[in-house]
Amino acid sequence: MVDGAARSLTDLMAGAETVAGRGTARAAAAGDAIDGVLPRIVVEPPSAEAIADTLAWASRDSLSVVIRGGGTKLDWGTPPRAVDVVLSTTRMRAVLAHRHGDLTATVEAGAPLAAVNRELARHHQWLPLDPPSTDRATIGGIIATNDSGPRRHRYGAPRDLILGVGMARADGHLAKAGGIVVKNVAGYDLARLLTGSFGSLAVIVSATFKLFPLARTSRTVAIDIAGARELQSLASAFLASQLTPTALELELPPPRLLVRFESVEAAADEQAREAVSLAAAQGAKARVLQDGDETAMWDAHDRRPWEGRGAIVKVSVLVSDLGDTLTWLAEAAGIDDCEVTGRAGLGVLLIRVDGDAEAQARLLTALRQRIPVGRGSAVLLRGSRELKARVDAWGPIGDGLDLMRAVKQRFDPSGILNPGRGPGGI
Amino acid sequence: MNATFLGELDQIVGREGVLRDPTDLLTYESDALARLRRRPGVVVLPKTAADVQAVVRHCHQNAVPFVARGHGTGLSGGALPAPDGVLIVLTRLNRILDVDIPNQRVTVEPGVVNLDVTQRVAPFGYYYAPDPSSQLVCSIGGNVAENSGGAHCLKYGFTVHHVLGLEAVLPNGEMVHLGGATLDTPGLDLLSVLVGSEGTLAVVTKVTLRLVRIPEAVRTLLAAFPSTEDAGNAVSEIIAAGIVPAAVEMMDRLTITAAEAAVHPGFPSAEAVLIVELDGAKAEVAELFGLVERICRSARATEIQIARDGEERARIWKGRKAAFAAMGRVSPNYYVQDGVIPRTKLPEVLRRIRALEVESGLRIGNVFHAGDGNLHPLVCYDERIEGQGALAERVASEILTYCIEAGGSITGEHGVGADKVQAMAHLFTADDLETMQLVRCAFDPTNICNPGKIFPTPRLCGEVPGPYRRHPIERAGLAERF
Repeated sequence: MVDGAARSLTDLMAGAETVAGRGTARAAAAGDAIDGVLPRIVVEPPSAEAIADTLAWASRDSLSVVIRGGGTKLDWGTPPRAVDVVLSTTRMRAVLAHRHGDLTATVEAGAPLAAVNRELARHHQWLPLDPPSTDRATIGGIIATNDSGPRRHRYGAPRDLILGVGMARADGHLAKAGGIVVKNVAGYDLARLLTGSFGSLAVIVSATFKLFPLARTSRTVAIDIAGARELQSLASAFLASQLTPTALELELPPPRLLVRFESVEAAADEQAREAVSLAAAQGAKARVLQDGDETAMWDAHDRRPWEGRGAIVKVSVLVSDLGDTLTWLAEAAGIDDCEVTGRAGLGVLLIRVDGDAEAQARLLTALRQRIPVGRGSAVLLRGSRELKARVDAWGPIGDGLDLMRAVKQRFDPSGILNPGRGPGGI
Repeated sequence: MNATFLGELDQIVGREGVLRDPTDLLTYESDALARLRRRPGVVVLPKTAADVQAVVRHCHQNAVPFVARGHGTGLSGGALPAPDGVLIVLTRLNRILDVDIPNQRVTVEPGVVNLDVTQRVAPFGYYYAPDPSSQLVCSIGGNVAENSGGAHCLKYGFTVHHVLGLEAVLPNGEMVHLGGATLDTPGLDLLSVLVGSEGTLAVVTKVTLRLVRIPEAVRTLLAAFPSTEDAGNAVSEIIAAGIVPAAVEMMDRLTITAAEAAVHPGFPSAEAVLIVELDGAKAEVAELFGLVERICRSARATEIQIARDGEERARIWKGRKAAFAAMGRVSPNYYVQDGVIPRTKLPEVLRRIRALEVESGLRIGNVFHAGDGNLHPLVCYDERIEGQGALAERVASEILTYCIEAGGSITGEHGVGADKVQAMAHLFTADDLETMQLVRCAFDPTNICNPGKIFPTPRLCGEVPGPYRRHPIERAGLAERF
């Protein structure tokens, strides 16, 4: 049990500055609140060593620590009970190495993704991740949440691209795993263990990724579709085809499929034409977008679920269950009360559920009941405190939960890192 | 081994599923790294996941170590038996349980052969992407344990990129399900840690794999170069042009000669050959393949063979995939090394290997996954000559030093196993290794699951430390803890 509340603010500030350096700590302000909970202090260590020292101090003094990058996803999952220290990675934002000949880069955790990609673009390469808010979302936060966007269809999520990690352990030791080469099986894959761990095991201080060349040409085929079943049927037809889209997205209402092709010009054009015929064969109307229209369309798509005020649920189902899930959703929630975007080819959806907390909770519970453990999941990302008081953010974890708890115990025996907020409430 | 313990094993898997006769055990003394041998206490051949669970639980209750083994093709001694331990051989768990084409996945038991997965789904237009050279015989369970790659992992990734779900028996006999049928499952990603853990965390009993659609177009060329540097430059130019080939493989003169002698793939006589394969959309492959060809020519390729059909492509790949085994044609014994370097360090590392060749007097062939920097030096020796075996081992481990100094790794796909435990301490700090052992202690606190592998020094896990509490006199500010 953490007991930092017993300490005075002056004590906390002095303690933090002793380990992280002068001028690195300040009292938390209203803008630092996490899901309505105001932390006591914010520490911004300037180096990996200072982060490690801060953690050693926090462990010693049993202070609860929440790690913050750009702060774009801090309200995901379970709200914290009390927070002593917000440990910010904001001073660690360097691209440490871009080995363009090897298609790899090593980046500090606090670097915003968009800034990293601007630097990598000098050599016509990029880290092919496109989650929301790339201008603010940091590498560390994106790894910790394993967050991704439409291009996951082709390039995968952070867990598919990470090669190595530098971390600060709760006890203040610095350690690394993996490396800077794209192929490496020496030792346990702790980089992937930390990916999606929501700051529950260690602080990510730097990471190495596999990169890809920037595509020369992009085309997007936007297809208007009659309903959820037709959407699933067309998505399945794209999957079964030999087309190689970088994104195969759905959105509704109204139901649309967005299929993106990025390659050399001749191939992007030819595949876009084939996609139009494939849609036409199923009676759907399609048009090809490029340049400014295309970019604007994707920007709007990426913002869509997040713009409204409702709760955001991330749902993972089999592609063959997509149609049923969407149909059920439209009936249960009413088409006007929810908005959906997502990876049609991967079965991953972001659903915004509007309405009051009781209605949202009812819908989430019913949705979870439809999905047997192991055949999908529904995780509450953003939601009001009233909603999160009614339903568990994570939902059923399955029979691996005890093992996850055991791993958490070994990594963070004092339970200072994001207490209670890790996946499954670890 | 204790008769009561063995009697229980008979009960679990049936008498015919337990091998204890010394001649029967001989087969299981080593995996494909034959110089490391150890006789297992007993071998069990379970037929079901429930059998595996019962065997592991029985081991746990009796504090007997166990090692899981697939088809024994591992190259790092990962399946080297534990002395007085149980070797759990999973070859009888060999069923393909479910083929789900609409969702592009299959579920298999660990003893299923890698290539059998592809053969099963090929009629539907799909394949299983990770393709280790041993794919004709190696098992999916072994692939999961080693996070196996293959020639095509540059574009398609390793086993970890293709495993969606695992059923596994923990060292205490409990069964867990990690991941699942869908892409995202909430919770810590223990699946990714289990993949590549070399059998030290659990015994996998069921695997759900992703399938990949067979591409519209595949084109393969073989280019001969006057030197490995020239071939290396061609690879750099291909990458700089923004091309991600499905595969880029390099072989040097010695390995070309060996492959030619063994399987006659019709490789040109040259200092180096490159195999470059592109796949994907027809228009993309057509344009980029032309570019690759031009790059090879301007990088001084002396000859370029372009596969005209599937048969010719198969012939080229046969030459490459047979390279290890073919070394037997040019040397009585050889040591297969597996190291990784950042690809751009290839010229420097090859120069050092050549100097080592001269200095040691042993010939060294090189097969190289040139796209991803995975180097397979083949150190030739003759065990009949006193001291050459030991020399070859020293030479092979010296090459690993070069890899580490170049910023690479001691293994790209063969694993650490029993073979490279000492090298781990050169690649990682004590803190790094201790952090990895935290995972081990969470899974296997009593250290009975494939003990002695991966880590140079075993760690006693002890009790799980409870939450730290300050002593009352610390709380009162009367004392500090240092």
